[in-house]
Amino acid sequence: MSALLQGLQFHPGKTIIHRLDPRVKLVISILLLATTLMYLEVTVITLVIVVEALIAYAARVVGRWARTVYGAAPLIALVFLMNYTANVFMMGEAFSVEGLYRAFAAAYRLVALLAAFSIFFLTTTPEELGMALTKLKVPYIYTFAFISAIRFAPVLAQELQSILDAQRSRGLELDKGGPLTRARRYIPVLVPLLVSVLRRSYELAEAMEVKCFGAKKERTYLKTLRLGRRDYAALSLAIPLFTLAAYIRVMVPIELP
Amino acid sequence: MEHVYPNGVKALDGVSLRIGEGEVVAVMGENGAGKTTLLKHLNGLLKPTRGRVIVDGKDTREATVAELSRKVGIVFQNAEDMFFSGSVWEETEFALRNFGFSEDVISKRVEWALRFMELWDYRSKSPFMLSGGEKKRLALAVILAWSPEIIVLDEPTIGQDQLQKEKMIEVIRLLNTQGKTVILSSHDIEFVAELRPRIILMSGGRIVGDGRAEDILTNMSLLESCRLIPPQIVQLTSRLGFMGIRAKLASPEDVAKEIAERIRV
Repeated sequence: MSALLQGLQFHPGKTIIHRLDPRVKLVISILLLATTLMYLEVTVITLVIVVEALIAYAARVVGRWARTVYGAAPLIALVFLMNYTANVFMMGEAFSVEGLYRAFAAAYRLVALLAAFSIFFLTTTPEELGMALTKLKVPYIYTFAFISAIRFAPVLAQELQSILDAQRSRGLELDKGGPLTRARRYIPVLVPLLVSVLRRSYELAEAMEVKCFGAKKERTYLKTLRLGRRDYAALSLAIPLFTLAAYIRVMVPIELP
Repeated sequence: MEHVYPNGVKALDGVSLRIGEGEVVAVMGENGAGKTTLLKHLNGLLKPTRGRVIVDGKDTREATVAELSRKVGIVFQNAEDMFFSGSVWEETEFALRNFGFSEDVISKRVEWALRFMELWDYRSKSPFMLSGGEKKRLALAVILAWSPEIIVLDEPTIGQDQLQKEKMIEVIRLLNTQGKTVILSSHDIEFVAELRPRIILMSGGRIVGDGRAEDILTNMSLLESCRLIPPQIVQLTSRLGFMGIRAKLASPEDVAKEIAERIRV
């Protein structure tokens, strides 16, 4: 779980990917997402993942990126299983290799999807993300809520760890007993976590008020985003590639495994 | 032994030590020296990535945290991380139920622990309604209730006032006279100076000093290399060289007497 979160957290760097305008990165991530959604062929999805791996390599975050993808394996296995069982038992489909293949492709797609956003979050600071959202005319209150949520995720993970340590030291064994008793065993973990989250949010609200949050309707910004040559170059590479992918999908009837 | 966290940080590096029964040990060092990481090895929350940790003859890699906690009770820094029950009483009961004590033993032990930590009057109050010092005491009562042979205190003085610190010293001494081994981490030098335990000094994940408080706390260069300021009494006596007084860890009364003696001569 922590490996999964690690790949969704900013990792500082000075690579070309880090310095791209966050809006451009968001657009590229969405284009990658759209490409994966257009195709259900394993070859194409693999190709998308290869492209993502190259981007991750350029951003020097391959290790973290790979760990995130790897960490998502249980989730992906679950999707595969649900997809398949739903098809067989609810839709009354007969068992077939083709059915297995389709369920696999649907789960595999998720890898490409997660991988794209992992790169985005690994190379974009919460501030940059906030600036991008502001440029997209999202009201600042929502942007702020969103970026605080991102920023507090690692803090929360740490908090969870110390609560788990404290309760395990009191003899709490989370993985003992049936599902019902197991769920009950989580109460000693969830209550302190909830208390800490509530306290933290009160503290944050106070700190914001002290710093005059919302005192003026029109907000000004220290840094503003401007598209540079690098950004246009990245877009002029990404958009034609996506167009090509879309064109092939619609116009060229080829059969791929 | 050695401990490397999953993110690649080597928090403990070539640490080797033996703590005997009935000892009082303070692990000292600046933030990030590896104090808490070391303590978490004592009940198996963390397992060494190299080497072995043996508690009462048992390798921690071969026992569960619950089994080891029965012997080693850790009181963590932030007391609030553990509270979830509706009352102080229930909070103290929790671990005893986990360890499978019988009902009459549970009620006896809980009563003893709450009286010992002077929380008996609060037994039906919510743990969240207690003051900071009371919360800290409850955290200790919760652990003392099952009477582990080894008691580990992670930064017991953080957020405590002077009076509470003095009480903490009393409690530690009392537990020690009952035969308990007490291991604590701290960077509160005055507190440790008053307790006078065996001190293990850590820096950058290594043990750089291990000895009696009287020796470690008067070793100025060693303390400085760990970014610790010597206790006030040591700072004072270290400046009295011209009177023929050596740097030492002694009570203010003893030092005053010694000065008076020299002046008289």
